[in-house]
Amino acid sequence: MTTSSRRRSRSRSVPKPADPPRDITIDFRTAAPPEPTTSTDEPIPDATAADETAPAAEPDAAAAEAPVEQADAVEADAETEAEAETEAGNEVDAETDEQVEVAVEAVEVEVEQAVRPEPVLGRLLRRLRSPGSLLVTGVTAIVLFVHAWNITGFPAASDDEGTYLAQAWAVQQGLGLGHYTYWYDHPPLAWIQLAALSWLPAALSDGLAVPTGRYAMLAVTAAILLLTYLLGRRLGLPRWAAAVAVLCYGLSPLAVTTQRQIYLDSFAVAWLLGALVLALSPRRHLWHHVAAGAAAAVAALCKETMIVALPAVVLALWQGTARNGVRAFSFAGFGSGLLLVGGFYPLFAMLNGELLPGPGHVSLLGAWQFQLHHRTGSGSVFSAGSAANTVVGSWLYYDAVLLAGGVLAAAVGLAVRRLRVPAVAVALLAVVALRPGGYLPTMYVIQALPFLALCLAGVLALAVRHALTGPPGEPAPGWRRTVLLGLAVLAVAVVGIRWAGGTQRALTAQDNTPYEAAAAWLRDELPDRAGTRVVVDDVLWLDLVRDGFPRDNVLWFYKVDLDAKVAAGLPRGWRDVDYVVSTPAMRGDRAPLPTVDALLEHTRVVATFGAGPDRIEIRRVPDSAGDRR
Amino acid sequence: MAAVTMTAVSLALFAFAVVTLWWTMHAWRTPETLAATRFAAPDGAHTLSFSLLVPARHEEEVLAHTVRRLLESSHPHYEVILVTGHDDEGTTAVARQLADQTPDRVRVVVDTNEVKSKPKALNSALPHCRGDVVGVFDAEDQVHPALLTHVDHAFRRSGATVVQGGVQLINFHSSWYSLHNCLEYFFWFRSRLHLHARRGFIPLGGNTVFVRTDVLRRAGGWDGACLAEDCDLGVRLSSSGERVVVAYDSAIVTREETPDSVSGLLKQRTRWNQGFLQVLRKGDWRGLPTFWSRMLARYTLTGPFVQAFSAIAVPIGLYVALFAQVPVAVAMLTFLPALPTVATLAFQVAGLRDFGLQFGLRVRPVHYAQLVLGTFPYMLILSVAAVRAIWREWTGRTNWELTRHVGAHLTDTPATDGGAS
Repeated sequence: MTTSSRRRSRSRSVPKPADPPRDITIDFRTAAPPEPTTSTDEPIPDATAADETAPAAEPDAAAAEAPVEQADAVEADAETEAEAETEAGNEVDAETDEQVEVAVEAVEVEVEQAVRPEPVLGRLLRRLRSPGSLLVTGVTAIVLFVHAWNITGFPAASDDEGTYLAQAWAVQQGLGLGHYTYWYDHPPLAWIQLAALSWLPAALSDGLAVPTGRYAMLAVTAAILLLTYLLGRRLGLPRWAAAVAVLCYGLSPLAVTTQRQIYLDSFAVAWLLGALVLALSPRRHLWHHVAAGAAAAVAALCKETMIVALPAVVLALWQGTARNGVRAFSFAGFGSGLLLVGGFYPLFAMLNGELLPGPGHVSLLGAWQFQLHHRTGSGSVFSAGSAANTVVGSWLYYDAVLLAGGVLAAAVGLAVRRLRVPAVAVALLAVVALRPGGYLPTMYVIQALPFLALCLAGVLALAVRHALTGPPGEPAPGWRRTVLLGLAVLAVAVVGIRWAGGTQRALTAQDNTPYEAAAAWLRDELPDRAGTRVVVDDVLWLDLVRDGFPRDNVLWFYKVDLDAKVAAGLPRGWRDVDYVVSTPAMRGDRAPLPTVDALLEHTRVVATFGAGPDRIEIRRVPDSAGDRR
Repeated sequence: MAAVTMTAVSLALFAFAVVTLWWTMHAWRTPETLAATRFAAPDGAHTLSFSLLVPARHEEEVLAHTVRRLLESSHPHYEVILVTGHDDEGTTAVARQLADQTPDRVRVVVDTNEVKSKPKALNSALPHCRGDVVGVFDAEDQVHPALLTHVDHAFRRSGATVVQGGVQLINFHSSWYSLHNCLEYFFWFRSRLHLHARRGFIPLGGNTVFVRTDVLRRAGGWDGACLAEDCDLGVRLSSSGERVVVAYDSAIVTREETPDSVSGLLKQRTRWNQGFLQVLRKGDWRGLPTFWSRMLARYTLTGPFVQAFSAIAVPIGLYVALFAQVPVAVAMLTFLPALPTVATLAFQVAGLRDFGLQFGLRVRPVHYAQLVLGTFPYMLILSVAAVRAIWREWTGRTNWELTRHVGAHLTDTPATDGGAS
């Protein structure tokens, strides 16, 4: 048995009779000063502390959990024995049982009633007024303000954002999971949620579809921020450290840039954080664990790459369940939630007759094969000039502090029991990102950001705690406090300046003006919108449809070559098109698209917006079908 | 129209299955809940006296063993009253012999009713009870010597008038259906009954049930005509506001055996189901104090029949979903009720492991295989029993189909003699 599991068993909460059993449920959230309850003498207790010394090495933890600890001792020992014997393949003997019984005596019936001593509403109100709630509300508001400021202006709308937004629109319109044939490229839950959130942008702005659609992401970001704080608390971070995690994550220019954009990864990471929070529920309630499984499944059904981080949830559940006869049930419940909710996706494919590849139809397995084998890899991160190298370079350009600092902190965190959950998440995501030859998209980093921040804040908390702990029985020397304060001010200043520079563009740049101008030109300058066929990238599609172009006449450029149904509508190929809107996304697409290439070659520019590689050109096809109509 | 029906039925069955699962898992919701399901450790005082009723019918093979176990009790104040039928000379002879051996502890009461049933036998003995508390055991029960001491303490500590102890079928290795039967008991006594006790409506078990003698007499004893007299008594006592506590402790649980054949199981289950129907029709549960306890009563008493319907309707629904032309959304909905069923199975796997640990029994992979593969056949047996119960009640057949006991739990189980004591 490892040190950590033994320690967990000691902090199991069976109160002694006099204790209000509420203590069981409070754990990290209310009550007692929120000190990190890991070891005081060892910054990395689990790696170094031996079994016998572990409990002695955590005086503060013992103090914080004293009522629980004492009453628990007998049972914990009995448990330990029982476990040891069970592991050895022996039967649990009666003596152990009797001991357990003696220890449990006090709990009996009252516990259940005492676990919920006050009405839910009262408890909720009390919690909302607690310092923790005010703190998290404050930092969340700050971060959301930064994210919302100029959300439509920066960064430039990306093709993927347009794709997901258009698919959300299709869901809303009842057209299915997309306005083109859904081909299982990604599981659909994220844009189904996006569709459900579409009232938000509609209420806030009426500009271009993609930039204003980003307002919906503020709701997702808010959820991520709150869950990051909550997870931090449940990992045992003090309030200040959990708040630092939220700020580190939310104010990092990398997050400000990527989190604003409409990416599936944001939905996925929100649900994964939810799963972790549920798995670490202090009440250790069976149904929270079932819900954790379901939330993890939803995370994977938002973005399939989130599966990579699932072992972190399993670890959290292991840490979140005591070894006292309910753990097996918790895992059964978690597994049920995970597989039964996750199973609906293949079931959906099966009921559509699209589970297995076959001629003339898309299929789930076919899509997976494409994603795993046929998708062009991004090369190795470590070879200069590869796509993966460029992507990682761009992340580091935006923010090296959170990325590098977080990875380093995660390396430390792997050795600390309380930080192991986010550290494992970071490690798994990093290993997958660094695998050579895999596909590494820019938004991948979104999945790791909260965990990087939690590791960073967690290690900071450990360091601070270490610094402020004097020799046994004595307070820490006062100079340490002063030095620490100085360091904190310095760190805030340095990081603040770096981040202010990185965020400045995000708060001021107007990168979507060319798109807006192009959309306005198409709306105002083309008299016969109903009879004009336009090839566009995914960003402009929704705007054109909203401006009165018939849905079947506005074509995503790659569908012209890749979707047999669309190609069949263009018997004369590029000549059946009237206009093509050439954008960076279109020109930069690396897939072989002969019709699109021909379009760009045979058309002449009638309007240009912006300049350089980011310019948008509206190009007209000479002698097109529209001219003859 | 078909789609609407399928959707409605699926949602209803889903809701039923989720609620049932929720309640079945009651004890394992949190570590604290689980801890609260146990007996409190006794304080050593013995202030109550017990009259232990053991009705026996054609059970001369196992009766002596049961009584000898009862006489090992650590409690000083109790008497054992063996109740036999006037037409069952073999058992009566064994009973009288036992009474002669320990005349200060054991007495025999002969039930002279023409039509025999367990409640009638118990009622015959009730006037002879001298203890403060009446306890009921079956002739094949293995009772732990410390049980009475625990129950004594539980009465005094809780102020309850009824204490229901745990009963556990042990011989899970006997056959595939025994395994399912054992797990049913495990989940029922370890978990679900505690919820019933908390909610103020409890269908009591047939044995290891203890009632204050005066309360029992005031309630008029057992209903001689009811096939589920235990359930009925629980409903009547709940309705008159008596406080019931339930305690389960694997170390002192009363051990029993499963019916020795599928048809035996079918008969037993038919009897219970029919008894539930009778209790439902008698309507004593309408006197329960709160709306929710009445709903719980209605739900519990009709449960076996909804479950039976579910076991048949769900596969049909899935077949239609897969092979008929229905909208994909509707087809997906028909899979909903299957989810809690699969989750239940996962919990049963965890439960089987826990059962093995609790009772010191070796659970092998083949047993897990029996659990998984036997789930649906077992559900079908329960469905047949439910249909059979409705049929028998409909046609007015209310006689007592007795289950035969061979004592499999006495010989085959390594931990028979309270292995955990």
